[in-house]
Amino acid sequence: MLRAIFLLFACQLTGEILHRLTGLALPGSVIGMLLLLAWLTLVPRERPTLTAVTSWLTAHLAVMFVPAAVGLIEEGDILAAQGIGLVVATVTSTVLTMAVTAIVFRWALGRFVPLDDANTGEKSA
Amino acid sequence: MTGLLSTPLFWLTVTLGVFEAFDTISKRANRHPLCHPVLWSTPVLIGLLLWTGTPYAAYREATFPISFLLGPAVVGLGVPIWAERARIRRLVIPIMLSLTAGALTSIVSAVGILALFGGPRDLLASIAPRATTTPVAMAIASQLGGIPSLAAVIVLFAGVFGAMCATPLLNLLGVRDYRARGFAVGVSAHGIGSARAFQVDQSAGALASMGMALNAVMTAALLSLLAIFL
Repeated sequence: MLRAIFLLFACQLTGEILHRLTGLALPGSVIGMLLLLAWLTLVPRERPTLTAVTSWLTAHLAVMFVPAAVGLIEEGDILAAQGIGLVVATVTSTVLTMAVTAIVFRWALGRFVPLDDANTGEKSA
Repeated sequence: MTGLLSTPLFWLTVTLGVFEAFDTISKRANRHPLCHPVLWSTPVLIGLLLWTGTPYAAYREATFPISFLLGPAVVGLGVPIWAERARIRRLVIPIMLSLTAGALTSIVSAVGILALFGGPRDLLASIAPRATTTPVAMAIASQLGGIPSLAAVIVLFAGVFGAMCATPLLNLLGVRDYRARGFAVGVSAHGIGSARAFQVDQSAGALASMGMALNAVMTAALLSLLAIFL
């Protein structure tokens, strides 16, 4: 258990160090995620404890950003001034992104994945 | 007694309690997007802060143990990507093409429209990562000089709206493949969309959580590149 937690912390810490050294705008935690992927690829084996720890974290992601969301308490003026623009931009962007992604995915599936037998096989899985 | 209001124990207990109460309601409502627990805990906690006269800085400090977990949780998103590597390899071309197109569409449309409304720079930085999962959006927003709490709420709203409009929108477009549908929902509406996709179809759900995780990386990378040139 401690080893799995250490691995997550170590990846994030290395990510933060790389972030500061290189000046990349990529957040340290995202760099840490890529480092974890690299580590799993380099040292491939079953990791039930790591999976258990990360599943627990992912399942409780929502409560972790409550303290930040409460920070809206200090942004009343912005919401009053820009609320409509924020809502219109968010709604339009969400719809457009979903449509573009779905259409490009479907097109590329037909164009580049000729032996497409996974479609029916995986749906029941 | 009043001293208790300034201890971490008090606000940690209240935050978890309020969240769990709304999470129970959300479960009862079969996880309807409009019943998302963050959507309801946030205004209640804001009300409690105002009622008790607690400054936000004190609350943020008290609840640090909760928000600290966001970083390791983001790192941990690498594990499901790793678990899905065989499927990713098989669908690599559709995934990479649609992910790039989707991430660009999201950034350009969100920032462009808000700019048309005259949104100032810090708001543009807060909305740019709106398609990524909340902790990543907060990290990117603060990187770009935005407001993390605003980014969190924008992302939450995008997720709730995306989860609700996914089925009618994708039916309207005639996209029937559950992998294309799931991936699009994950790229556009992150974790809240993925939760909805899992209710509809298992492979849609798997592709949705993959889309969420990959878009966190893609959007962060694209915005990092843009930040260099702007």
